[in-house]
Amino acid sequence: MFARLLSGVVVGIDAREIEVQCDVSGGLPTFNIVGLPEKEVSESRERIRSAIKNSGFSFPAGRITANLAPADLRKEGVGFDLAIAVAILVATEQVPIPQERLLFVGELALDGEVRGVRGVLPIAMEVSERVDGLVVAAGNAAEAAVASDAPVYGVRSLSEVRAFLANELTLQPTAIRVDELMRRADAVRNDLAEVRGQYQAKRALEIAAAGGHNLLMVGPPGAGKSLLARCLPELLPALSKAEALEVTRIYSTAGLLETGDALIFRRPYRAPHHTISYAGMVGGGHGVPGPGEISLAHHGVLFLDELPEFDRKVLETLRQPLEDRSILLARAGISVRYPAAITLVAAMNPCPCGMLGDVEQMCRCSAREIMRYQRKLSGPFLDRMDLYAEVPRLPTDDLFTASASERSIAVRERVASARTLQWQRLGELQNCHSNAQLDGDALRTHCSLSQEADALLRKAVTRFSLSARAYVRILRVARTIADLDAQERILGRHLAEAVQFRSTGLWMHNS
Amino acid sequence: MKTDGEAAEATACRFLRHSGYEIVARNWRTRAGEVDVIARDGDVLVFVEVKARASEAFGGPEAAVDWRKQRRLIAAARAFVAATACELAMRFDVVSIRPNEIAIIQDAFQVPS
Repeated sequence: MFARLLSGVVVGIDAREIEVQCDVSGGLPTFNIVGLPEKEVSESRERIRSAIKNSGFSFPAGRITANLAPADLRKEGVGFDLAIAVAILVATEQVPIPQERLLFVGELALDGEVRGVRGVLPIAMEVSERVDGLVVAAGNAAEAAVASDAPVYGVRSLSEVRAFLANELTLQPTAIRVDELMRRADAVRNDLAEVRGQYQAKRALEIAAAGGHNLLMVGPPGAGKSLLARCLPELLPALSKAEALEVTRIYSTAGLLETGDALIFRRPYRAPHHTISYAGMVGGGHGVPGPGEISLAHHGVLFLDELPEFDRKVLETLRQPLEDRSILLARAGISVRYPAAITLVAAMNPCPCGMLGDVEQMCRCSAREIMRYQRKLSGPFLDRMDLYAEVPRLPTDDLFTASASERSIAVRERVASARTLQWQRLGELQNCHSNAQLDGDALRTHCSLSQEADALLRKAVTRFSLSARAYVRILRVARTIADLDAQERILGRHLAEAVQFRSTGLWMHNS
Repeated sequence: MKTDGEAAEATACRFLRHSGYEIVARNWRTRAGEVDVIARDGDVLVFVEVKARASEAFGGPEAAVDWRKQRRLIAAARAFVAATACELAMRFDVVSIRPNEIAIIQDAFQVPS
């Protein structure tokens, strides 16, 4: 009256194989789950009991013990329901012993329906080489199949699992055509051409996309900042299959994959509201910390609208992951590292009323108010913004006359060739994939200036009394602009444009 | 003269036998508590609590087996296991008797962990 089966659990974005052992013996009726289960795992007893009874099986009398091995790992989540239920049925000979090494992951409803759980993709990645097949909820089958070498069987109910194991029901393994999915990413949904005017901001977006630079847009409400930011993910080159898997893995862990979704093949765009908490931004939560917005935007764009309204603590915690391109969440007894390679786009009004610098309307803010508003952003944070673009309100006439601008497809092509140049140049460097990450020796080696550019840079440094950091940022941006121009050396015109896009930290101007 | 309780237990036993149970003991008592009927259902030893109600005014018979009653039954069952060294799988059933209806609720509750 003993049975063992395989299941799996996610810890952060990694997964572990879990052996589910089940013993049914004589004695008073008890049902225990051991092996460091968290509350939700212990609660599964009630679901399993009802699901077994309501699927036409009999729940065994006597003493039932289920053990989740290895016993020293904390078990979270509801994915063990299916494996434990099947193990009980195998132990009581109501279901034949599986002839192959099968892995079971799924939650049970009281009526015996098998429901999807989060984290199936990491589990499939981890175990698929060692098992003969995965049995998961039908809604999870697609995401499991993307990452699994072993066949994936989607099931709807506990009775279906019995019929499958008894060879009364043949299930077709779920097949996903990854290449076909990836091709769908080519369609542009937010086109730059939809935004009238704003050529400077569009150029800044193009540079940000080409070099992986962070961008700060400043302008009055309604000028199109959000609209512009939303275009950025589709200016970036399409995700590679490996990148798409990384992104999907994070969403699977967070339980944010739509049912039946196999792969996230578009670059993520996350725009959290400014009331977001620290844990919501970088990750956290009880038990094993879950990924935050910064990881959900991995390989994509994190857009922070109304930047000064964000809690300062939340913004400051972004600094370190922006440098490391990952975030380590350390808790008592467990630490998890989530990737966070993002392009940060932020937007803000120039002053509380938003009209500072407008040509038609007057700003109603006092100098003090403006100072206080802009001071909410720390210098070190602003230092991480390579590009600074003004997004003014379009004069009424322009709104109707401005000619349709370039489409995203054309910009994306230029971005792609600039990126290719960078990869060729930076190929051998580790942890440096774009100009925005150039540092130290690499910066000196790869940013050779023409005479004209060198003179211009010296002049700019003196004229605007630029800090060392500002100097470095100008060089990086100039490198990207030169790449967009397919030039080996940074020329005067590249550097001049880069200086234009420098972020000034504080700006005070009334027209 | 038989009490209502004894009459109900006799009815319950008849019904249990009719349903394929084999009566092992009736009114098994220890200091910890009492089990109305102990029976065998195939390979399973069943502790049966009999509840009869003349009307629904105070809730159905099933409702009468509350947590305190369950605890006493479990204690008695433990004593039975200790006394007999029985190794069978075990179960708690409730037989509910209403004026025109009798039913067995199998596996009515379990030993909490």
